[in-house]
Amino acid sequence: MVKVTVDGIDVDVPAGSNVLQACEAAGKEVPRFCYHERLSVAGNCRMCLVEIEKAPPKPFASCAYPVNDGMVVHTDTPMVRKARRSVMEFLLINHPLDCPICDQGGECDLQDQAVGYGGDQSRYLEPKRAVKDKNLGPLVKTVMTRCIQCTRCIRFSTEIAGVPELGATARGESMEVGTYVEKALSSELSGNLIDICPVGALTSKPYAFVARPWELKKTDSVDVLDAVGANIRVDSRGTEVLRVLPRLNEDVNEEWLADKSRFAVDGLRRRRLDTPWVRQNGKLVKADWQQAFDAIAAKAAGLAGDRIGAVAGDLADAESMLALKDLLASLGSANLDCRQDGAALDTSRRDFYSFNTSIAGIEEADAILLIGTNPRHEAPLINARIRKAILAGGVHVGAIGAKADLTYKPQWLGEGPDAIAALLAGTHPFADILKAAKKPMLILGQGALRREDGAAILAACWKLAAETGMLSADWHGFNVLHTAAARVGALDLGFASGKTLAQMLGGGVDLLWLLGADEFDTAKIGPNTFVVYQGHHGDAGAARADVILPGAAYTEKDATYVNTEGRVQRGQLAIYPPGEAREDWKIIRAFSGMIGKTLPYDTLAALRARLEQVNPVFTRVDMLPRFGCTDLTGPAGNPAAMRGDAFVPAVVNYYMTDAISRASPTMAECTAAAAPLAVAAE
Amino acid sequence: MQSVQAVPNARHPGAGRRMARDTPKGRQVTDAARQAVAALLAGRDRQRDLLIEHLHLIQDAHGRIPTDLLAALAEAMRLSFAEVFEVATFYAHFDVTDTDPPVEIRVCDSIACQMQGADALAAAIAAGTPARLQRVPCVGRCDLAPVAVVGQNTLDRATPDQVFAALAEGATQPVLPPSIDYDRYRLNGGYQTLARLRAGALTAEAVLQALDDARLAGKGGAGFPTGRKWRTVRDQPGTKLMAVNGDEGEPGTFKDRHYLETDPHRFLEGMLIAAEVVGAAEIYIYLRDEYPAARAILTAELAKLPADGPRIHLRRGAGAYVCGEESAMLESIEGKRGLPRHKPPFVFQVGLFGHPTLVNNVETLWWVRDIVERGPAWWRGHGRRDRTGLISFSVSGRVAHPGVKLAPAGISLRELIDEYCGGIAPGHTLRGYLPGGASGGILPATLADVALDFGTLEQYGSFIGSAAVVVFSQADDLRAVALNLMRFFRHESCGQCTPCRLGTEKAAALMDQPDWDWPLLQELSAVMRDASICGLGQAAPNPVLTLLRHFPEVVGA
Ligand code: SF4
Ligand code: SF4
Ligand code: FES
Repeated sequence: MVKVTVDGIDVDVPAGSNVLQACEAAGKEVPRFCYHERLSVAGNCRMCLVEIEKAPPKPFASCAYPVNDGMVVHTDTPMVRKARRSVMEFLLINHPLDCPICDQGGECDLQDQAVGYGGDQSRYLEPKRAVKDKNLGPLVKTVMTRCIQCTRCIRFSTEIAGVPELGATARGESMEVGTYVEKALSSELSGNLIDICPVGALTSKPYAFVARPWELKKTDSVDVLDAVGANIRVDSRGTEVLRVLPRLNEDVNEEWLADKSRFAVDGLRRRRLDTPWVRQNGKLVKADWQQAFDAIAAKAAGLAGDRIGAVAGDLADAESMLALKDLLASLGSANLDCRQDGAALDTSRRDFYSFNTSIAGIEEADAILLIGTNPRHEAPLINARIRKAILAGGVHVGAIGAKADLTYKPQWLGEGPDAIAALLAGTHPFADILKAAKKPMLILGQGALRREDGAAILAACWKLAAETGMLSADWHGFNVLHTAAARVGALDLGFASGKTLAQMLGGGVDLLWLLGADEFDTAKIGPNTFVVYQGHHGDAGAARADVILPGAAYTEKDATYVNTEGRVQRGQLAIYPPGEAREDWKIIRAFSGMIGKTLPYDTLAALRARLEQVNPVFTRVDMLPRFGCTDLTGPAGNPAAMRGDAFVPAVVNYYMTDAISRASPTMAECTAAAAPLAVAAE
Repeated sequence: MQSVQAVPNARHPGAGRRMARDTPKGRQVTDAARQAVAALLAGRDRQRDLLIEHLHLIQDAHGRIPTDLLAALAEAMRLSFAEVFEVATFYAHFDVTDTDPPVEIRVCDSIACQMQGADALAAAIAAGTPARLQRVPCVGRCDLAPVAVVGQNTLDRATPDQVFAALAEGATQPVLPPSIDYDRYRLNGGYQTLARLRAGALTAEAVLQALDDARLAGKGGAGFPTGRKWRTVRDQPGTKLMAVNGDEGEPGTFKDRHYLETDPHRFLEGMLIAAEVVGAAEIYIYLRDEYPAARAILTAELAKLPADGPRIHLRRGAGAYVCGEESAMLESIEGKRGLPRHKPPFVFQVGLFGHPTLVNNVETLWWVRDIVERGPAWWRGHGRRDRTGLISFSVSGRVAHPGVKLAPAGISLRELIDEYCGGIAPGHTLRGYLPGGASGGILPATLADVALDFGTLEQYGSFIGSAAVVVFSQADDLRAVALNLMRFFRHESCGQCTPCRLGTEKAAALMDQPDWDWPLLQELSAVMRDASICGLGQAAPNPVLTLLRHFPEVVGA
């Protein structure tokens, strides 16, 4: 630690810090455009100027100047203010004064700083620079006349996203920022460019001109479009969600958000189920709640419990799953499944199905083995963490599965279970790397589990973890990467019992209740099975339903989700569900009352108390204790039963994985933008 | 809201399959381009720091850089297209275009050539040939102005007819001046000091002591004591490298070229002595691209050196004045855009490829042998006005005999002109001068008797830098001079930092107005000087500020 005095305040900062960080530690605000905590230092905007005693009498760019012990810094001298004002004036020279129509309006660093440092009027009257806008694809809109050449976007795309597609061309006043081929950015993290651009040069294309920030209601919530559980802020106006932004959570998403989670929200307005429907004479017709409930009750009456089943979809919240479980129990059924993809998950121990290392823990690992997973498509933010760990240095990454561009280059060990066997046998050299590592970890994807020999693979991977030092008293390196936001919560609630989905299909049950379940082949449901679809989108499940109960999307309910790590988080209602649609647990409770099996909770608080009773993990909202692993006993499968076929990726089209993203015009555009390249690659 | 009935018809979009790919998306490379690049790179290394060298191969072969070859080069070097494009467009000598014809003629537009009618020359050439002509910054032959370059063939005191003739004859190769080659240099006692040093007959400490005693200061412009620099690098831990700054881009300066083209081995011996003293493992010579003759000479002479020393790489600049800034030069040697780095850390700590690096100017090294052999007293024996040593002035403008003038330190402008340059040019009277090229400011005739050296000119808002003296007379419009210099900085700003990128642009625009907005120009100058990252932006306002200070009548202030 070194001691630095900033405006008379003494602070201790780690050696190697820069002066700007020392100023922040002292609580002094230093204006900046190019500096960003998570990017390399460019030191080019020259806004963060400060004065340093015993140095030449000129302002220094604090972000690019290292601290020394005993350094004395002044952040607010006349010299500093004057220099900042001049820099500000320079930046405003070329910047069009189009704030009233700029989407960054109200959220613009330049606008904020201009208030503090800008003069009233530009004294440079020459025409402003014209710069051609770049086409960066369906998500990011460019207005390059606003660009102040801070290079944050370039550094983000090369450093964080790992797709070096942005750059600066030419030099001097001719310097321009952009891509060189007019094409969509190939990153799943491109939306973060919008947040990172300090001015309105990069803005959200789908959100263009929709609303001004001050008109929006802002609701803190949790994303459900993958199993990462990114913390988000939902901005809404009236009955519409207009946009979703990331919210800082260092342990989960840092300050980033993946593109699907950010841009699929226009799917919330499409194909919505806003009224109950009942099938009559083979056709679905609109109905009211009473008619819908009557139809279900009529079917349920007299059915043996074993003939009833329920399937929870990938976006389901814990409260509604528990209510549905309790309802089925009251009807004498324990036929519950959440594994629409048939993944062989062993629910006997929580660490058999969780991402135990934790997302932040990835940064501690020194060897990472990916098995049957493409984290770039299944969980872009976890992929970004892996990349971050790699950039920090000293990490070996191996991968088993279909080769793909992960934004980093793992050592490809094989395409299928053979490679796992080779590691177990110690015949592949990567086994030595794992054994030599201090904190090795593996990440097991759904692509490896949702196959007939999934249980064998699960057991083999655990065995590999146990034998290569991934499991110890203070380190748990066994990780299952889920793709569904609902999955871990469902498993925690025991929503995997009795008949499996496969057993319920083909007539295995007479009444099948789908809680937002759209990700299996509904054609396999027996022709005589009566299907209740409770959910928010007219997708695959609704198409097959005999009764449709309109539910709430994740932005429309107060609900609990458990991410792939096992982290319990809560989303909040930002807007009300459309039309007749209702929060899901309330629908189930209302039905239970109608059939005289009233569930014993009528408030959210009471239901949450029941959640905690069923599984105490639900008491730990937002907290994720880290733990090691001392009981090395593995899951039930037999490692020897692995077969030879290659792993098939769990996610084939990142942009469309669920009912919301499939309804999103923006995601459709992204799919189309990505598709021709897929053809070219063949 | 859409009705549910629509759904059964909808294909399940998630059912579509997208193939994963192992290569990043980007421009598809054609087979023809791939083959063309493979042919150019045949037998060559492909590591990243050779990017600029390889771009030169394409530029030389095609007269420009078509984008499909750029993409193929990116692929061949395993770099992203963005990276390669960034670098290619940074350097003026890479013409990235799919349509424009190659540039065949270049006419210098820097100050010395402008004074000798470069505009008229360019206009006359353009009127007489359809060949593409480009105005370019100083090509380092200011004593022979105006200069035109056809291909790589420099035409001194050029006339349109000379240019047309060169075009017609296809005379596009550099004409090599006579120089002292390896054998002759050895015959005259060359490389003996190096041999003694390597054999231990001469100690490194003795060399350092000689440099210290001579008080030799760097000849590149900053004037840092050479001995001290060597000692600092020598004391750094780990692998050390050396880089020679031959990017002599300061308008008006041509002394390094002069030494390289006349006695290259004297420089090479000094360089090898330096590498030996500091323990540099490899040496990179960065030579500006405007010096094809010097490059040809060096290439030939380097090949004659015995293979017992450190590995020597000759790297070619590509038209960027900012690469004369040492950290920008290192970036360029690494194959990147020439953006100056932030300091600290300094290049002697973290330099080329992250290693401690000794950076010396060509001329500095050229003097090492003489100082060691003749002794520091010989060097100190020169000088006037309490200064010691020798300075190689590059003199151009209104003097009778311009050229490289080796004169004692401490000499005044008047003495330099009268004793070394045959006086002022006939018909002209001294009005003012640049003591240090474009960056050193403009001084008036009333300051013709002060010592042209470090420590004297600073008080007048000026500095000597690389000792590029350009002399003006009553025939010269000093406002136009200042504007010319500001335009030069605008053209050469790397664009990295706000004050310089926008300051040079706005200053040039303000100076193009009939009436100069002085308060604004001064404010603008202050922020450029105080807040720019490197010396380019910091010195860019010097011409304006000195003009205001010493010639208020000229600018109506
Ligand atoms: S587009 Fe935005 S982030 Fe990128 S350089 Fe310009 S101002 Fe900075
Ligand atoms: S001062 Fe000019 S040349 Fe130097 S870093 Fe800044 S923009 Fe580049
Ligand atoms: S924030 Fe320090 S120079 Fe930009």
